[in-house]
Parts: sequence; C-alpha cells; structure tokens
Amino acid sequence: MLQSLGQNLVFGLLVGALYGLVALGLSLIFGVTKFLNVAHGELVMFGGYASFYAFSMLGLDPFLSIPLTIIILFVLGAILYRLVFSRTIKLPEESKIKNTLLVAFGLSVIFQNLALRFFTADERGITTSYFSQAFTLGGVRFPLPKVAILVVTVIFLIILQLILKKTYTGKAIRATTQNWEAASLMGIDIHKVYLLSFAMGAALAGVAGTLVAVNYSIQPSMGLGWTMKALIVMVLGGLGNIPGTIIGGLILGLTESTTSFFISSNYREVAGLVLFLLVLIFRPQGLFGSKEA
Amino acid sequence: MLNLENVNIFYKELQAIWSVSLNVQKGEIVALIGPNGAGKTTLLRVISGLHRCASGKIDFLGRQIEKEAPEKIVEYGLSQVPEGGKIFTGMSVLENLELGAFVKRARKEKNQNLEWVYEIFPRLAERKSQQAGTLSGGERQMLAIGRALMSKPQLLMLDEPSFGLAPILVERMFETIEKINHEGLTIFLVEQNVQSSLELAHRAYLLENGRIVGEGKGKDLLTFESVRSSYLG
Amino acid sequence: MKKNNIIKLILIIVVVALLVVLPLVIKNDSTINLVILVLLYILLASSWNILGGYTGQTNLGHAAFFGVGSLTTRLLWVNGVPFLLSFLAGGVVAVILALIIGAPAFKLRGVYFAIGTLALAQMLNLTVGNILPEMSYNPDLANYQLLPRYYLFLGLTLITILTAAILVKSRIGLGMMAVREGEDAAESLGISALKHKLIALSISAFFAGMAGAAFAYYHVSFYYYMPFGSEWTFDPMMMAYIGGTGTIIGPIIGAVFFVLLKQLLVWNVGEYHLIIFGTLFILIVLFLPGGLVEIWQKFRTFLTKKTKRRKKVLLKATIQNEDGIQRE
Repeated sequence: MLQSLGQNLVFGLLVGALYGLVALGLSLIFGVTKFLNVAHGELVMFGGYASFYAFSMLGLDPFLSIPLTIIILFVLGAILYRLVFSRTIKLPEESKIKNTLLVAFGLSVIFQNLALRFFTADERGITTSYFSQAFTLGGVRFPLPKVAILVVTVIFLIILQLILKKTYTGKAIRATTQNWEAASLMGIDIHKVYLLSFAMGAALAGVAGTLVAVNYSIQPSMGLGWTMKALIVMVLGGLGNIPGTIIGGLILGLTESTTSFFISSNYREVAGLVLFLLVLIFRPQGLFGSKEA
Repeated sequence: MLNLENVNIFYKELQAIWSVSLNVQKGEIVALIGPNGAGKTTLLRVISGLHRCASGKIDFLGRQIEKEAPEKIVEYGLSQVPEGGKIFTGMSVLENLELGAFVKRARKEKNQNLEWVYEIFPRLAERKSQQAGTLSGGERQMLAIGRALMSKPQLLMLDEPSFGLAPILVERMFETIEKINHEGLTIFLVEQNVQSSLELAHRAYLLENGRIVGEGKGKDLLTFESVRSSYLG
Repeated sequence: MKKNNIIKLILIIVVVALLVVLPLVIKNDSTINLVILVLLYILLASSWNILGGYTGQTNLGHAAFFGVGSLTTRLLWVNGVPFLLSFLAGGVVAVILALIIGAPAFKLRGVYFAIGTLALAQMLNLTVGNILPEMSYNPDLANYQLLPRYYLFLGLTLITILTAAILVKSRIGLGMMAVREGEDAAESLGISALKHKLIALSISAFFAGMAGAAFAYYHVSFYYYMPFGSEWTFDPMMMAYIGGTGTIIGPIIGAVFFVLLKQLLVWNVGEYHLIIFGTLFILIVLFLPGGLVEIWQKFRTFLTKKTKRRKKVLLKATIQNEDGIQRE
C-alpha cells in the first residue's frame, strides 16, 4: 500500500514536471505580452505531430528531433504573432486579454480542423526500443520516458533562465514584462520583444508536445485538455511567474496522482479543475504570486 | 536642438495640447512649468514617441521624430526619465543601469558610462547588486536618472524629478541636474516645483490647460505677475 | 422611424409565418432537420448573447447549462416522468445551477470569469462522462415524429428572442448594458453589478437549459456527456460575434450563416466550414467588433447619406431654377 502510494507520488511529480513545461510557454507569453493564448494546447499538438512525423518518416529519435520541433514552432509562433496577435497590442490590458482569448479560441478551432484534415483523427504515439526500460530505486519504478520528462524540463528551465538572466535580450524581455513603457524609453523595441517571447513560448509548447507524444498519445482534439492544464498550472503558480509555474505543475501532478490513488483515475482531471476553481475564487493572484503583482 | 512646432495632441478624444511650439537649445536647461493636469506629461510622452500627436512637427537634431518609434528616438540621443522614475523593481540596480545602455550606440561605451553614473551617484555603486525595489524614494529617482544617462543622451528630459522627495533631497536633486548640465548635457525639465526649477533653468515655458501662456528667462518668469500669484503665493 | 418599424413588423410576421408553414409545404425530413439545427443554434447563440453580449461577461461555460438541461430532461423522461414536466425541469435545473455557481463565479472579473466558467463546464463534462458513460436512447422511438419537435424548437426560439428583445429594452436590460460598459461606473450610479449579472446569467442559463431539454426530446441517441462538450459553447459564441454581439438580430444572423456555410461547404469541398468560420470570427474580433450587423448599418448610413445628399442637390437645383425664372 505504502509503496504503491510512493510510486504514485513519484509518477505525479514526473508528470507534474510535464505540466509545468506545458504551462511555461503560456506563462512566458502571458507575462510579457498579456496575450492569453488559449490555442497553446494546439501548439503542443503541433509539436507532438512534428516529432511523430520526424520519427515515423525520417526515423529520427524523438529526443533528437526536439531542435527541429523548436525551430518549427518558433517560426509558427512568430507568424501567429505577426499575423494575428500583434493586432491587439494597442488595446488596454483588460480588452487585450479578452480579445486575445477570443482570437485564440478561433485559432484553436482552425488548428483542430486543419489537423483533422492533414493528420487524420487517429491517435498517434511514439514508441522506441528503450522506452519500456526502467530502473528501480527504493522499490519505486522509474520508467525512462517519464524520467526523460524531468530531465528535459530541467534542461529547458535552465536554458530559459540563462536567456532571461544573462543575455541582453532576456533582460529586455524581463524589463518589458515589468513595465513596457519604461522599457521602450530604454530604447527597447517592444514589438521585437513581444515577437520573440511569443515565438519562444510556442517553441516551449513544441518541446512539451514531443514529451506528450512519447508518454501519452496525440490527436487533433487534444488541445483544449492541455490548454486547461496549462491554465490551471499558470493560475496555481501566479500569472507570469516562472519558478511558480514549475511548482504549480508539480502540485497539479501530485493532485492528480493522489486522486487516482484514493478515488479513481477517472476523477484525476476533475480534481485538477476543482483545485483550479478554488484557487481562482480564493487566491486569484496564485499560490505564489504576491498581491500587488 | 529640440524644436516643437504647432503640436496638437488628443488624449482619449479630448484635446490635451493646443498648438504648442517650443524649443530647447544645446547646452540649456529649459523648464516647462504648470499646474497638475496641464498636459506636461502628455507632451513628454509624445516627444518620446509613446503617444502620437494629431498634428504638428517635432524636430530633434535635424530629424523629424514625431512619427518615430520610441526606441529610435532614444537611439538618436533623446532620453526621458518618466514620472515617478518607473525603475524595474524586480531587477538589480546594476541590471537597471545595463538596460539604460540598451541602444547599440550606448552599449559600446557601457563600462565608461557606468563609471560616470557611479561618479554622479556614488550611492548607486554601493547598492549595485541590490534589488531596485528595495531602494528608498530618493535612491529610486537617482537610479531612474542614472539609467537614462546610461544611454549617453544629448538631451535629457526629466518628468517631475522632485516628485515625492523630501525638501533636502529636492535641493540635492536640482544640484545634480545643474552638475550634469555643466558637463555638457542639455536638459528639458518638467516641474511643478516652480521656485526651484525657475532658479535653475536658463529659460522656461509656462503651460496651462494645454497651451503655452508664458515664456522667458527663468529668473524673469519668477517675477512674472501671473506666475507669482498662481504658483508662489 | 415609424414607417421603418412597420416594415420591420411585417417582415417579422412574414418570416414567422413562413417558418410555421414550412414543414407543411416541404415534407423533406432533411430540410426540416436543417431548420431545427438553425433554431437550436439561434437558441444557444441568443441565450449566450444575453450574458456575453449585453452584460459583457464572456461565458465560456455555456455548454454546462445546455448539458444540464438535456441531461435532466432526458433522465427524467427515460425514467417515466411525464414529458412536459421533464421538459420544464431542464430549464429549471439549469437556472438552479446558474444560481449556485453565480455568486462565486462573479467574484471573478473579466478573463478570470471566462476561464473559470470554461473550467466548470469541463468539470461537468468529465464528471457526467464518468457517472453516466452509457448511450441514451429516445424513449419515444416507436412513434417518433419530426413535426412536434420542429414546432417545439420554433416556439422556444420565438419565446427566447422575444424575451431577449423585451429584456434589453427594460430597466434591467439598461442596467446590464451599464455593467458591460464599466462595473465601477455602474455601481457608482447605484446599479448593482452582481444583481444584474446574476439576472442575466439566470435568463441566459434558463434558455440554454430549455434548448438542452428540446435537444433531449429531439435527438435520437447520444452520450449523456455529449451536450457538455466545449463546441456547444464555442460555436454559438462565434455565431454571436460574427452576427454582432449585443444585438437581437446578430446571433440569429450568425446562426443562419453558420449552418448555411456548413451545408454549402459540405456539398462542395468537405468539412472546411469550421476553418472558414474560425477565420471569420478572428477577423471580426480584430477588425469589426460589431459583427455583420455593423457592416449592414454602415452600409445603410452610407446609403441614406447618399440619398440625402442627392435630395439636397436636387433642392438646390430647384431653388436656383426658381431664381433663374425670377430673373427672367
């Protein structure tokens, strides 16, 4: 009993890292631009398909195809920003959030149907020879694909932090997040910053998509479910707060795994949504956000 | 150096600035004074490119800038210290200063400029690794000015640098502005603190309800009847 | 103005009369089903519009009320409760749900309300799927007739539109619109934002629930969780936007347009209607927040201006002529 609970918690944490990674891109975009891109789940889906086709057609290992996925989603993000989201930047914040939310719903409808048309409704997944391998530690099994989630998430978290903390571009992104007007008075081209953040957020969604294709399955209608997860995590962690986002992901992962253990795996997602609504109502600044932020 | 000609500005469908013309010559300190809500901040926002004017011309060093993006205007050598400083509170003092040197022109001379800013504000050097959000009001204003100086501007616009500061700090702030000016930087100063800014400025404009209603040498304006009665009591 | 109103009234009567006689003239089931689909979407889009368009609260959980309505009616009906009672219960339960979630949900403002209601609908969708995973069959299958279903939808749709039209002209409707323009400003005028939002939500939920109830009466077989699906929120929302939110006619135009587009494209190029509809929706949100209704109004003012100008020119010409005559 206790051992299987431990197993459950470990799984919860590993899966939670993936939730964190999915939310990371959404949170980065929202923090900088105040765009609520609820088509994020569809970007995850495209990432999943990119690595699926790289695997099935080119025989590329999914982890090796990550750079390819990043490039594709980065470009897609940049195009989406230029074509659609950039039209809303002049709006006051409240209507900007609302309009981008609506527009993104339109995009998700379009993407879903394009995916149906070109990728078919079949569920897809990636399985390679080493995926069934696992190691055991203290009686708890660690399957390799799940461990890979943690490794990849940590790698990209570090990369993102290095970019944001050490590079001039990253500092410009952080400055724009805090106060775009002051940032443009520094000579920062905030349109460029927005474009870059949006493209980076999309690229992160793509990476998450690869992990989803490896650990679960991908299909055209998967978007909304993953967008919901990303929204839950983002609100748990405090809007636009990057370390908070990862912790939020772990909390959601643990909530789901304990619900599976004590109630039923059918109510995994319901538990996450209940948690989300409770946080929204009682602590809308997130568990780790401060009130003024 | 800076030349505004018949500038009209609307703010949310209301006209905020009515046909304003003014100029700032190289080496000067020019003050723009006027009551709260006269449109001073709006005017500075337009000069910096954060807001567009409905009509009129703005010329800076021979370039038309009324339609330029804010980042280009900084690149040309015109920097603004916005109202309240608007420092990046979530970043260290040093990072704030580094961001001040974001434009290409200034990035090359970053280390030199940093030394220069630390010389003017030794306090910032002491606090360089501290979070900007933990600074006191006076230090925040120093950081805001230092950050703008990091772009090595030719013309520095200051929006109410004395706002919210204790009288002793205000005095020191004005001394610093004078010192920076002596080092060759042209200053365009927007102030509500009429007495001090008129004593400091070479020339001044008086803005009321979006219109220029008076102009002259700073010290002359101090004796100007309407200024005396409305601002100095 | 008065002449305009009379024309409008005649037009409405003609359209309603046509809809009433339609199934008697065209005895083709697929056409009737198509009109039922239009009516269902009008119901959903118009009811969404009461809260989303007139009160400015972007409700992304409309499917929850539609779902609860259909679930209640179908469950009661299947279990032997008389149809009329089960039917009305659908709307009532939807209102009860609205009242339960209203107070906490309206603690959330703006976008938080939107994603909160989305989460709520998803939650219900999953939970119903867990508890009642089985398919539900229409208990009336043996003597299933399309005609009563058609008239039920038609009557319900007319009542919904009429209620909405009266509501928005009333004091409460004005209060709702004041809340949309700015909650703080409305409160400062003594208009309770919470009260008006709750009323709008309840009415919106009631008609969505009744739509669900009619759906339960109409549809032959479906999974109980199916009406909770997010498309029952997003499609009507897009229709309302494309037609024009905050107008009575907008959601109707949007719904008709949606079904027409779907039919046309199915015949010609396959299932592309959602891609085109989504694109149109984005364009409208970005560039034409008033929807198709606004295009029409702009076109009309353009026309009247033109005719007015022409009249003025004519008038001038006659005056000049008279002048000329006098001079001669």
